[in-house]
Amino acid sequence: MKTTTKTALLSLAASVLVAALPAYAHHSFPAQYDASKPITLTGTVTKVEWTNPHIFIYIDVPDEQTEEVENWALEMGGPNALLRLGWKRDSLKTGDLITVEGSLARDGSRLANATSIVMAATGQRMLAGSSRDASAAE
Amino acid sequence: MLSRFPPRRATSDFRTHRRCLPLVTAAVVVLGSSLASTPSTAQWLNYPTAGAPRKADGTVDMAAPTPRMPSGKPDFSGIWISDATPEGEETPSDGFDLPSSRQMANIGIDLPGGLPYQPWLIPIVEERTANQAIDDPHIRCLPDNFLRAYGLPHMLKFVHTPDLLVVLNEMNAGYRQVFTDGRPLPEDPAPAWQGYSSATWSGDTLVIDTIGLRDDTWIDWNGSVLTEAAEVREEIRRPDFGHLEIRVTVDDPRAYTKPWTVTLKQRIVVDAELIDEICLENEQFVERMGLPY
Repeated sequence: MKTTTKTALLSLAASVLVAALPAYAHHSFPAQYDASKPITLTGTVTKVEWTNPHIFIYIDVPDEQTEEVENWALEMGGPNALLRLGWKRDSLKTGDLITVEGSLARDGSRLANATSIVMAATGQRMLAGSSRDASAAE
Repeated sequence: MLSRFPPRRATSDFRTHRRCLPLVTAAVVVLGSSLASTPSTAQWLNYPTAGAPRKADGTVDMAAPTPRMPSGKPDFSGIWISDATPEGEETPSDGFDLPSSRQMANIGIDLPGGLPYQPWLIPIVEERTANQAIDDPHIRCLPDNFLRAYGLPHMLKFVHTPDLLVVLNEMNAGYRQVFTDGRPLPEDPAPAWQGYSSATWSGDTLVIDTIGLRDDTWIDWNGSVLTEAAEVREEIRRPDFGHLEIRVTVDDPRAYTKPWTVTLKQRIVVDAELIDEICLENEQFVERMGLPY
């Protein structure tokens, strides 16, 4: 198997794993976020709020067109969910460059619910404890 | 906690150093012995559960015999989570997220025709379901009733003694007491989120009767409720090491046209620990949604 193919399959497997895992719930995901509006943001961490019930991180994202910097808020799971996912409270630090996949807020603000985070320095992909999947459960 | 002591100021007094050397050596030996027997601080999240039966490959033997108390009755002690936990993942610290039960959103999902709501409750549940449960007490960081807690993705720790079963909930550091000392249910209980519970054994099944619940106690995400008139019976079995089966019968004539029964299942969690989730630390949902407090 060629390395590129293997890498692609591993990436696919990782994506399926992320999509299939049940997730943590606290608040009404669909009331705040629109799962049909996925977003990918790459930016630099400006603040980390490692708090209950959910962790919030803030990142500066440069606009490719205007080169202006927008600060986005990203909601993740709670500390206990993230600790069990392998996070440490200092896994994310101010200044870290990350890429976040998530769902946009319905209110049009610069807010998203993160489902996964890739650390640029290491390439490590971490689940973000999103409440998306649990809220969809019926 | 050596790291909390301020560092000693360096001294150039060789005599002092020589004089203290035996003491320092002794302290290092004592400290070394102490540290050698102290678990690493990195292990707290996955600290091994004492007495958990293991297979040859080290995984938990979920089908091992039911643990029992000295009296011979089943011992329900342990950390539990809904049975939606994937098989083989009894340690939720290995990189997967806690699941919610399939009954979390609708506790009557397995009942033909659903829950038998009284007419007044039908539009309320419909509205709560349609508006994504924005009035949910859980969202306002209020306690979860025990029926709901069995399905939410928060760990429960059962501490089982001969006269008392205590259930700790990591969500808001909640607790529930189930008295097993033979006491009767009170005639005039103060309405409470968990009610007042007393239990007796029927063979290997613990039969818990609960009254004294608050009006409008939510029991699922759709907004189904119990009222002060509710009488809840749980028949709990631990058929093996890894599972709890909880047969729940709700008799609440104010909210439902007839009694209904569902079964809620739990799976053991080993090598894990409760982690605080004090919801009000940084609650932002209510304000962001513009909801009234």
